[in-house]
Amino acid sequence: MDNVESAPDSPAQAPPSSASSLPKEQSQVELELRLLQALEFYPPSKLKGVHRHFVLYGLMEYLRKSLDRQFSADEVLQLLDRFFNLEMLKPEDDEKDNFSQGEEFSLPESFFNKEE
Amino acid sequence: MGSSSNTNASGGGSDKEEKKEDKGKGKDSSEPSFKEGDRVLAYHGPLLYEAKVQRIENLEDEWRYFVHYLGWNKNWDEWVANDRLLKLTEENVRKQQELEKNQVVDKSMKSGRSTQHKLKGANADAKADKDDTKSLVKGKKRKSQPGTEEKERRSSESLLVSQFPLTLKKQLVDDWENVTQLGKLVKLPRSPTVDDILKRYLEHRAKKDNKINDSYAEVLKGLRCYFDKALPAMLLYKKERDQYTEEVKGDVSPSTVYGAEHLLRLFVKLPELLAFVNMEEDALNKLQQKLLDILKFLQKNQSTFFASVYDDRKSADGSKSK
Repeated sequence: MDNVESAPDSPAQAPPSSASSLPKEQSQVELELRLLQALEFYPPSKLKGVHRHFVLYGLMEYLRKSLDRQFSADEVLQLLDRFFNLEMLKPEDDEKDNFSQGEEFSLPESFFNKEE
Repeated sequence: MGSSSNTNASGGGSDKEEKKEDKGKGKDSSEPSFKEGDRVLAYHGPLLYEAKVQRIENLEDEWRYFVHYLGWNKNWDEWVANDRLLKLTEENVRKQQELEKNQVVDKSMKSGRSTQHKLKGANADAKADKDDTKSLVKGKKRKSQPGTEEKERRSSESLLVSQFPLTLKKQLVDDWENVTQLGKLVKLPRSPTVDDILKRYLEHRAKKDNKINDSYAEVLKGLRCYFDKALPAMLLYKKERDQYTEEVKGDVSPSTVYGAEHLLRLFVKLPELLAFVNMEEDALNKLQQKLLDILKFLQKNQSTFFASVYDDRKSADGSKSK
């Protein structure tokens, strides 16, 4: 975790293209700060389960909005890697339940009405 | 004028009460005709529906059965008396099909599908109840703008649901009718598969934007992931279970077997699933726009993506030596 402070010096972390376009130090701090803020909405534990893609999507959106540039999925994952060992993350238990109940598909009533 | 309609309404109510009492009389109350868990055919309006007895209760010397109509929203679950239920026998299934056939003829003469569903709701009080709640919910939804304190889940529901393309809604109803009412199945494997369709959409998107759009790519991956998990868990009608066990074996992904018909069902479930992601409002709105764009893509290619003919399951079963 000590490395975190010196993360800006480790060029391997971010793709060269985007890293070079940033005015170093400060933007890196800003970037990490925003990422940590985003994690409030999107806990890293959710990056493992069935919802992971949409959580990642949410992170991409959050960073794009707050830093005003596009972030690729890989970029976000590499950023996260500065703080977490993603391999070690475990999915939350409750999300298994979302999909284990073999319930039958039922079309909501509203689909049967001709609305317009 | 107003008073006359009032009298009518209250008169109707008491009539119903009396009828209920009449039905109760003279019933053999010693033994229930159906047990909890029994599969039955239940009259709802003029048609018979497959149903499951979930609870039974003896009320004033009459057995009452709480039934769930299979393939129907739980909202339709209700208590019924013996005379609404038939045993699930071949003969009664034939009867069910006959009623349906007449209904289809009837329907084509009248103004289409909606009649059928009005008739399904013919049971007066249940229907009235449902209409009330529906209009309530709708009123609420209209008022709620994104940004109010409404839960995010709701706004995701309203956007995806309210903007759901009409022809795709019809597609879903046809799908429902083919599978649950006519006992037909989509022939598997489908072409294009869910995988193919999602890839094609990404290509279509890349052409339009002139670059690979990373957030779209992530959304499509997410849809594929949801689809594979959700298909066995919540996207199948009960009559499709056997087919699933037959066609999806080992570590085959459902998204490489099933096609647009089942993908579309996923979109019906998406608001529910996305609620677990707990996305912030802004991102969720953006996501919904993307999802709607995918729906529009499905709609544009409706004639090529969706099966126009469903397999008659009976003949398919017959050809296979089970």
